[in-house]
Amino acid sequence: MAGAAHPEAMAPRKKGPTRTAPPMMPSSWWSAPRIRIYLLFGATGLVYLLAGFLILRLAWALGSNPMAWQSAFDGLSNPLYVIFHLILLVSVLGVGIRAFVRMMPKMQPRGGPLPVLPPAVVRGAICGLWAGITLFMVLVLSGAIF
Amino acid sequence: MVQVSRHDIVIVGGGGAGLRAAIAAAEANPKASIALVSKVYPMRSHTVSAEGGAAAVARDDDNFELHGFDTVKGSDFIGDQNVIEYFVEQAPKELALLENWGCPWSREEDGTVSTRAFGGMTIKRTWFATDKVGFHMLHSLFQQSMRYENIVRYDEFFVTKLLTENGACKGVAALEIRTGDYHAILGRAVILATGGAGKVFPFTTNGAIKTGDGMALAYREGVALKDMEFVQYHPTGLPGTGILITEASRGEGGYLRNKDGDRFLVDYDYGVGKKAELGPRDMISRAIIQEFEAGRGIDDEHGLHASLDLTHLGEAHIMAKLPFVRELARTYVGVDPVHQHIPIRPVVHYMMGGVDTNIRAETDMPGLYAAGEVACGSLNGANRLGSNSLTECLVFGNSAGVHSLEYASGTNEGNEASLRAQAEEEAARVDSLRGSKQGDEKIADLRVEMNRVMEAGCGVYREQETMKIAEKGMHEIRKRASSLHLQDSSKVFNTELVAALELMNMVEVAETLAVSAAHRKESRGAHTCRDFPHRDDQEYLYHTMAYRTEDGPRLDRKDVALGHWEPQERKY
Amino acid sequence: MSEGKKTIKLEITRFDPDVDEVPKTEEYEVPTEPGWKVLDAVNYVKDHLDPSLSHRWSCRMAVCGSCGMMVNGEPKLTCKTSLDEYGDSIKVEPLANFPIVRDLVVEIDGFMDKFKSVKPWIIRAKERAEDMENLNERGTYSQSPDELSAFKQFSMCINCLLCYSACPVVANEPEFIGPAAIALGHRYNTDSRDEGAAERNEVFRGEGTVFSCSFANECSEVCPKNVDPASAVNQAKLGAVVDWAKGLILPRGGA
Repeated sequence: MAGAAHPEAMAPRKKGPTRTAPPMMPSSWWSAPRIRIYLLFGATGLVYLLAGFLILRLAWALGSNPMAWQSAFDGLSNPLYVIFHLILLVSVLGVGIRAFVRMMPKMQPRGGPLPVLPPAVVRGAICGLWAGITLFMVLVLSGAIF
Repeated sequence: MVQVSRHDIVIVGGGGAGLRAAIAAAEANPKASIALVSKVYPMRSHTVSAEGGAAAVARDDDNFELHGFDTVKGSDFIGDQNVIEYFVEQAPKELALLENWGCPWSREEDGTVSTRAFGGMTIKRTWFATDKVGFHMLHSLFQQSMRYENIVRYDEFFVTKLLTENGACKGVAALEIRTGDYHAILGRAVILATGGAGKVFPFTTNGAIKTGDGMALAYREGVALKDMEFVQYHPTGLPGTGILITEASRGEGGYLRNKDGDRFLVDYDYGVGKKAELGPRDMISRAIIQEFEAGRGIDDEHGLHASLDLTHLGEAHIMAKLPFVRELARTYVGVDPVHQHIPIRPVVHYMMGGVDTNIRAETDMPGLYAAGEVACGSLNGANRLGSNSLTECLVFGNSAGVHSLEYASGTNEGNEASLRAQAEEEAARVDSLRGSKQGDEKIADLRVEMNRVMEAGCGVYREQETMKIAEKGMHEIRKRASSLHLQDSSKVFNTELVAALELMNMVEVAETLAVSAAHRKESRGAHTCRDFPHRDDQEYLYHTMAYRTEDGPRLDRKDVALGHWEPQERKY
Repeated sequence: MSEGKKTIKLEITRFDPDVDEVPKTEEYEVPTEPGWKVLDAVNYVKDHLDPSLSHRWSCRMAVCGSCGMMVNGEPKLTCKTSLDEYGDSIKVEPLANFPIVRDLVVEIDGFMDKFKSVKPWIIRAKERAEDMENLNERGTYSQSPDELSAFKQFSMCINCLLCYSACPVVANEPEFIGPAAIALGHRYNTDSRDEGAAERNEVFRGEGTVFSCSFANECSEVCPKNVDPASAVNQAKLGAVVDWAKGLILPRGGA
């Protein structure tokens, strides 16, 4: 075992009659590949935090004067920003896939008025929705519509 | 120092029968205090391993007469017919009650409970929840039992003695496994619901905890063990481990095959006739052994075995009705029953015998009740029909709960000082055993020895000579079990001490089994003697009663309660 | 299916509170047989090498739930885990995230408290005697196969507690009700015969709240019975929110 869990983890309400050794965390905590992936997902929070600051900075510049906005906007072509945005893209895709493709099919409410759909159907619907929105955005941004 | 607690009813064992008894008593009188004492947390009880189903009349083409006669015939006419009539009448109510408590019984499209075919039953009357019926029943009962605040659980307390006063049972002395301390748990009545004793045999479907504790507790206090010679071999256990492959796999249409791929139950005359794979367990187990003896067994890395063929049922049917069988076969023999035959061989499954009880679940000792596999109310006679035992736990668990409460309301609490003194004496005995280096016998060795003797003497086929050897062997092993060499002197969770106490229980039970078997010179139900191949109703239409003496069991006889079903030749 | 006989090294956690301040590790050489599970090796130690070793086990067919242990750092049902999955050296420890009573035995009363807190029984608005109009002539409620399959999977839990050992939230938040108990509560919430969802949702929103779950999904990864507790917990979150929202909008919670 590596490291202690919370000393009160899984402790009974009424203290047991003999002395116990404190609960331990699994030694695989850092080494198991799936735990690393789970922690990586947790770490994407940091990426969003940074992205939030970036948007605030741009908004601040936009509110200041056209020159400030232009220089902030030009600054985005800096390779560091490009790399950051690539990381952001990967994070969003990863978390999106995890939340919508892996979690959503499992989280369908049961016993309610709506039928429980097979996971593949939910995944298909979500992917279709995503593709649709992406197509729409591409059309708008390219000036093809509106 | 012994800690004393008081209740109205003390139940020993937290499986199907114990939990049902607790709920019955708690419902009958919400003010009564009910102690549920178990050596494991109740959800670990061996009821959990039952697979195929629970029998009760549930269809319009079925009735009590048919279920009753199937059971009487299955018992080879040594079942008590008044008990069987009571059982079949109570059965549907009990299973419906379990449904009301949340048991996820498999369903028909119209919302009613499904039933399946089972061995020895002429009509589909086995209720099921896929093939994990015991598991679902146990968990439903346990979860239901939690609503009753007047059920007080003593989890992981090992009962080692019944406390008595003027010949009446007034409580139990129990070892708290966690602390090593002793408790006197007093009650006006005590119910034994500790299950069977399959672990006296080496090759069994039974879990490690099934060590005949309740049988030994009652036996030591002078209560008779009845019909101990009747041991059920289940035809389909996995070789090596003895893990149960449910009879429901045949109920759903599976075939038994030999080395040549023949359905031997159809191709040869084993007395099961048209029923083939749906014959009773004793007959099919014998048929498999005869196939082995005729050289038609399969001999490979699994040892000598026959095979169970489910491949024609198809994956969808297997996953819908027998998913656990598939999981077990894949995990424990590396075989996928969708495509391959499962290797199987007969395996010790159930004790028809046990503590002598009547229709009210009473034993001969006032205040002592028994229900479930530990009891022998003579429902099962010489051979139990598959799926009757889960229902038995409920019907007689309920009976024990209700009747013990009635009894408790009319009896006194017992003298605390004298009961405490008995518990203290017991505590001293067990304390002296803990880490005792007095003897030189090792628990594991003696257990293996007992297993060997029992298998050699009391298998599917028995002979006078081998049974006599087993009788002598068990007598000697029982003596040796009193001089164990133990190495663990810790008080906390001392499982070596528990194993020693369990072994002492097992040797008592095994000895009664060997002696009762040697005494019955006929072949009836699961008790098959090569020297006496026929049933002998003139001489042996009675129950064997074994009473404890220091020199071994003293046998007596008890009349079978006959009724309107006349004994006839048992042929299917 | 097996490689044949070989001798393995088994490292087992030992702890006797009467003697040891903290748990320690002992090594045993175990000659194994083909087809053995980890539990068989532990039992070999108990029977032949050191009878003072304490562990729980019974059915050895993966249904009683007694023999959960950490095997090379992963929570495993030892009667279901083949030795072939490992090399010549195996580490066996008591279940993580539980107080250790002795050797491989952990204290599970904390789980029993959480188990009971979700009210794992059928709750009906009326007592059975007044509920007869809902029962058919056999005395059972009607339930279609579809209604059964809505909760069946969540009723398969054997309480082996591997999920509690794997859950990072359980390790850090003692109040968290945890995977198996939430799955059980949710099992009753989704049972068509039950009318007690409101009571359980209150528990789900209470101190040990279901919202502590961060969907690590570890419980479902280690579950030996494919109960998928992570799915149950996250459905329970949704149920608890919907129930709460109904209470805000509708008079008497829409009841």
